[in-house]
Amino acid sequence: MLEGLVYPESLSLSYADMSVPERLKGMQQHQQIEVLSQSSNDSPELLQILQFHGSNNDELLQSTFSHFQMLESGFGTKYNMDFGPSHEAMDGCISRTSSCQIDPADTMGVMLKNSVESRAISLKNKRKSEVKTREEEKTDKKIKVEAETESNINNKEASSDTSKETSKGDSEIQKLDYIHVRARRGQATDRHSLAERARREKISKKMKYLQDLVPGCNTITGKAGVLDEIINYVQSLKRQVEFLSMKLAVLNPELELAVEDLSVNQFQAYFTNFPVVIASKPSVMVDLPLFPLDQQGSLDLSVINPNQTSIDAPSASWETQSHSLFASVLR
Amino acid sequence: MERQIINKKKRVFSVEPNKIPPSEVFRRKYTSHLVPALKKLNMNKNSPQINQLSVKHEVDMALALSAQEFSWSRFLLQKLSSSNNPTTTSSSSNGIRIQERSGKEGGGDEDGETEEKLRELQKLLPGGEEMNVEEMLSEIGNYIKCLELQTIALKSIVQDTT
Repeated sequence: MLEGLVYPESLSLSYADMSVPERLKGMQQHQQIEVLSQSSNDSPELLQILQFHGSNNDELLQSTFSHFQMLESGFGTKYNMDFGPSHEAMDGCISRTSSCQIDPADTMGVMLKNSVESRAISLKNKRKSEVKTREEEKTDKKIKVEAETESNINNKEASSDTSKETSKGDSEIQKLDYIHVRARRGQATDRHSLAERARREKISKKMKYLQDLVPGCNTITGKAGVLDEIINYVQSLKRQVEFLSMKLAVLNPELELAVEDLSVNQFQAYFTNFPVVIASKPSVMVDLPLFPLDQQGSLDLSVINPNQTSIDAPSASWETQSHSLFASVLR
Repeated sequence: MERQIINKKKRVFSVEPNKIPPSEVFRRKYTSHLVPALKKLNMNKNSPQINQLSVKHEVDMALALSAQEFSWSRFLLQKLSSSNNPTTTSSSSNGIRIQERSGKEGGGDEDGETEEKLRELQKLLPGGEEMNVEEMLSEIGNYIKCLELQTIALKSIVQDTT
């Protein structure tokens, strides 16, 4: 059953001399393989195979998959139902140190080593929990190799497209930059729907964050209602600002007198650390006391729920530097 | 020591420089922008009538200057500098329109409804119309935060002068 993979072993002598980093360099144009090699430093044969396969990425992958389909599916871990027995077999063999994209090639190497059974059983339980958590994970960034390998079985072009996608930009191993888009059972695995799904998940993540931000949005289900609330909230905030600025315009002549007091008070508040009056969200984030404000005012800030814990998760999704202001607040 | 700090108006020194929370930073920046601007306005206008629009202008300007990390602030600055008239939103009318529209659509096309709401939201955010949906949603998040902080700061200023 491993006829198709005989040749890598013959190459063992030539590749054994090379050190791991050299092999890695040689594979730079093939993201997928590179990632795999990083995790399997201890299996030189695997690297050989990977290097060999690096030249002819897609076809060999496919051929190996077809070979593996004939293997005993005795390893039992349910990886992904779309794949059926072949993937289950690969699944159990993996000496996994990182994410599931590595699966196919890893299993290839391990199969060749023929030290499958002992590993499989020990890893079985570990894999199950990993798989489950991964399936529940949301997507982060670009479409990942695992999605690519899923579609590999179905059509070749998707894989070539996605391998291009993965190799664009950074040529280093950056697993963290990839989105884990798991195609669930019955869902399309072509490139477009995967991209769309990733996009939709991103948007829903942001919507969730906004839901936590706007007071009173937690009870509302459904995108439209939440959006409505957000719109109303933003409008009310703007109205408040307008109202306050109008008030300020009226009071402005007296402003000069009060300016010095204002700055003094602010600093005094900062230094003397007297208690915070408002239970509003911004002041909760601040350990230091804010200026004591009139809580009976038209401001709804007392309603704002200091829901800090729920804010923590989405902060990580704000990638750009420019959001560091709130990222540190929300942590 | 406090007097010395106050005299150096432009810069704020803190006892624990690394521990200032960002909301406090924003407040400081905001008031340090707004208060001198208002003073200047006060002094320049010899007539007792302080134009409400100019105050609003200053308020918006202070907001934009205090939150320069975000892209909406750039748009806001652009708007402010291009036209001296501040961007006033007909907020109440917008609100009514939304309610009507959602009432009419009822069980209508869900996607269309959401999209309309997103467009409304885009209109509220300065520069929102030039962004795509994802970006707009994150910008709305920090815009809301900044608006909240701005209201607090304004309230404190107003209360202080009364």
